[in-house]
Amino acid sequence: MLDDEAGPQRRPAVVAVKPARFAYTAPDTVEDALDVLDRFGDEAKVLSGGQSLVPMMNFRLARPEVIVDIGHLGGLDGMSVSNGALTVGARTIHARLEAPAVTTPDGRSEPLGGVLGSLLPAVARFVGHLPIRVRGTFGGSIAHADPAAEWCILARTLDAEMVALRRGGERAIAAEDFFETVFTTSLAPEELLAAVRLPVLGDDWRTGFCEFSRRAGDFAVVAAMTAVRLELATGVIAEARIGVGGVAGVPVRLGDAEATLMGETPSADLHAAAAESAAGEVDPVGDLHGSLGRARVARARAPGAGASG
Amino acid sequence: MSWVGRSIRRVEDPTLLCGAGMFVGDIGGAAAVRFIRSPVASGLIGGVHGPAYTIADLDADGVGNIEAVLHRPDYVRLAQPLLARERVRYVGEPVAVVVGATAAEAEDLAEQVELDIEPLPAAVGLEAALAPDAPLVHPAESESNVMVAGEMATPGLVEALEAAHVIVELEIVSGRQAALPLEARGSHAVTERFGGRTTLHASIQAPHMVRTVICDLLGMPEADLRVVAPDVGGAFGQKLPLAREDAVLVWLSRRLGRAVAWIEDRSENLMASWHSREQRYRLRAGFDVGAHLEALQADVAANVGAWPCYPITWGVEPLMALAELPGPYTPEHYGVRSRGIASHTCPMSPYRGVSRPVITLALERLMDIAAARLGVDPVEIRRRNLQSDFPHISPTGLRHDEGTYREAMELAVSHVDLGAFRARQSAARAAGGPQPGIGICTFSERTGYGTPAFAARAMGVTPGFENVEMSMDPSGYVTLRIGASPHGQGLETALSQIVADELGTDPSRVRVVASDTDRTPYGWGSFASRAMVLAGGATHLAAQKLAAQLGSLAAEVLEAAADDIVLADGRATVAGTSVGVDIAELARIAHHHTQRLPAGAVPGLSANAGYDPGGTFSNACHVAEVEVDPDTGGVSMRRFVVVEDAGRLINPMIADGQIRGGVAQGIANALLEEVVYDEDGNILTTSLMDYLPPTVAEIPDIEIMHLETLSDATVTGAKGLGEGGTIGAPAAVLNAVNDALAHLGVELNEMPATPERVRAAVRAAAGGNSAGETNRSTQEAPVQ
Repeated sequence: MLDDEAGPQRRPAVVAVKPARFAYTAPDTVEDALDVLDRFGDEAKVLSGGQSLVPMMNFRLARPEVIVDIGHLGGLDGMSVSNGALTVGARTIHARLEAPAVTTPDGRSEPLGGVLGSLLPAVARFVGHLPIRVRGTFGGSIAHADPAAEWCILARTLDAEMVALRRGGERAIAAEDFFETVFTTSLAPEELLAAVRLPVLGDDWRTGFCEFSRRAGDFAVVAAMTAVRLELATGVIAEARIGVGGVAGVPVRLGDAEATLMGETPSADLHAAAAESAAGEVDPVGDLHGSLGRARVARARAPGAGASG
Repeated sequence: MSWVGRSIRRVEDPTLLCGAGMFVGDIGGAAAVRFIRSPVASGLIGGVHGPAYTIADLDADGVGNIEAVLHRPDYVRLAQPLLARERVRYVGEPVAVVVGATAAEAEDLAEQVELDIEPLPAAVGLEAALAPDAPLVHPAESESNVMVAGEMATPGLVEALEAAHVIVELEIVSGRQAALPLEARGSHAVTERFGGRTTLHASIQAPHMVRTVICDLLGMPEADLRVVAPDVGGAFGQKLPLAREDAVLVWLSRRLGRAVAWIEDRSENLMASWHSREQRYRLRAGFDVGAHLEALQADVAANVGAWPCYPITWGVEPLMALAELPGPYTPEHYGVRSRGIASHTCPMSPYRGVSRPVITLALERLMDIAAARLGVDPVEIRRRNLQSDFPHISPTGLRHDEGTYREAMELAVSHVDLGAFRARQSAARAAGGPQPGIGICTFSERTGYGTPAFAARAMGVTPGFENVEMSMDPSGYVTLRIGASPHGQGLETALSQIVADELGTDPSRVRVVASDTDRTPYGWGSFASRAMVLAGGATHLAAQKLAAQLGSLAAEVLEAAADDIVLADGRATVAGTSVGVDIAELARIAHHHTQRLPAGAVPGLSANAGYDPGGTFSNACHVAEVEVDPDTGGVSMRRFVVVEDAGRLINPMIADGQIRGGVAQGIANALLEEVVYDEDGNILTTSLMDYLPPTVAEIPDIEIMHLETLSDATVTGAKGLGEGGTIGAPAAVLNAVNDALAHLGVELNEMPATPERVRAAVRAAAGGNSAGETNRSTQEAPVQ
């Protein structure tokens, strides 16, 4: 189309952001951020990657008085291993987990190997789309606590510990105690999620992750993660963890199904029995995309299905 | 060498791909307008409190009502106010409007507005709206919710059905869908401080029509309103009807004397722009012993929402179904009742394909089901029933020009290698787990129709013709002003190819001006797969006139006979000689040395032409291959093949782009996209987390082949193809899903085929255990 002779020139467009009015602060240090949270408490909301909070503010479903943008803080991103745990900084973007690298004590960066080194990329590719994965953060997803979010399922399945800072203090919260209900955690208003500690899984662990969603990149309709430790000498399952998301207000562990596996030798029949048990343990709430079904939970079952570590 | 038929690059693309497009939202410099919309599906307005304009303000200024009418006895006529008056009829209906300095301020103002509405019972779905005691959407004007009811039958239908060897009965349901343009709607209006002329920039498909109706509503001369469609980020029919909001913007700008802009957000677009395709078809079809479809009887009900759209009306879906249901087939006997049912839901507009995706779904499911009943292969039953004698006159009197219905299907099925597929399918059935399926769909696409076809609808206004104005300037470049309003289709590029061939010039020397009522001849815009046929035809005719002018001038200059002049490669030459003159030189002479023109010649080089054909039918065959997981109900696309015959291809690359985009929308219609209301009329799908357009991951590569049957019904030989992808894909996909699960006895005739519906169909086939998923999952075979 030809340019218009007398038509409009490109001018600043109508400012199209729609959130309710809020105050904004972007502290430079963790201490400053904790001071702000301490002062404003539940009037404040931490902004990390903004991939969930910003849309909710534009819909005016979230109306925080004060936004504490932690995007400029140093020290909250990256991964490192110590004392048998992988520490993932809260501000680590999802994309970093697609090719996870840890910082060694002498400051070098090296690829994360082992079972977690395979599991994290296999899960990361289910998190949203690339533009989301380069902005959204691991800690942001955990703190947002969507029950179908991949990282929440991972944290619950592996019994992660959430490291919460507050002015003058720090505590570790077990995943079981951290997720309370949909979008709700046990983080206090004045606390900042700083990191998540995942247990390093030894070479005798095997993991699987399977997700059912309507489209690539959607939140899971249902997703399941399994991790089992095999007694290498005997071939029996010594430890079993099965976590499911999308079926309740929080990601859940399926204790009966885990018990079914314990002390047994993996086989197709055993997997089927565990899947059966898993299906009996959940009572999914229907939503727009289906009054789902346990059949789907059963589908996403122990080793063999989906990604494996 | 001909320019037509070549895949030259689109002149439109650099601007758009470099982010330099100018969309309504880029114009800026305006106050932000926010509409306050009804939160309830049905209710009486007690009052509107706060800093907002309402219908009372429009009434005080004498603003009129929209009257979208069909002149037929079964049609209920209504007068629609620009903002709700007394009553709200759907969630999202505009009730009031606020103006703020910024979008956020307008949101703040909107929060201050209190709507005092007394809720009333609502009729939401088709069954609810048809119930004897259904709440009425327009109680003052109609005693039922049936707003239009077409009926026809050929003599002998009943006897033919009685005499049939096999009767197949079938119910097809299509969920409600939204066109979902990437750019939602929007408009920007500014009124000159002196003189009072208003300019409306709006994201629309038919600027001249919009100018007319807004001027009628506001009681102003059309000369005082300029309507421009700048770059438009997708429309698909949703931006064809008048948007009430656009008319309100013009009124606000004139009343306030300031620039105002409304940029629709995604939730608003999903809730309150236009929907489409909520339809139910009941078919009764009689086949003879040779598997010929002898008689077809249909009852069609279309949920048409709360208001008609202007100017197409809410007859568009049901009456298209009535007229075009026999499709590419040849039943001698046909009878149909097709009704438009009002409900307390968002109004409907045409959406790419209009009723034909559902018509085609109905017919193609019918063919597959009949094939199974009669023990005939799905390809063979179509082979026996597709049109092959042309022109074919349908039972409703439509003239099908020559097509390649059978040839397209044969080419498509040989390309996919059905035999190899069936071998793979057998192996998968033995192995269990996800199951492959294949589905065939053949269809006709009525395109490129002008006034005669629209006149048959008896609309309040009769769209149809397209005009163009062509001129060559002294530099030898051509400016082509068109009444059509392209918005991403590549029409400018394609028209330049037509011009270049007729004038012997290069397409790069053609500029197309469109979508601005101040600078283009009156026209009906771009919709209904018409622009290539109509604007292309008018361009072809105008270029022939201009070529004749150049020929006469060249004959004078070269002292030769006009009949001997050949225009090619930028020169006018005497046939069979090297004697010639540059066309650019002729253009100079025509303007700057007019003393050299033939006696009586008009100075300059310009030609106008109009074109108004009766219409033509494209045809295509789609083949879809899917994989269905019976345990989860998940369907994934594996392959998609299209054989298309749209007559002469002006630019094959552009044609392929139209097909690809359409197929993607069709696959989405088949599997993903559905607007959902609860029974109270609350809309549940107001974000892209809930209304699910496909991503690239859900769409397979689309393999396209062309046949080229030149149409005798158009001057260029071209047929339209803008909607075909969307028309054929749903039926191909649903047939493939059914094929994948055929060994389980599954029959699924509802789209979108969501995991939940697939699972329900699997369960129904397994014996209809309704005791809950726990039992079902224990009955299922162990998951492999």
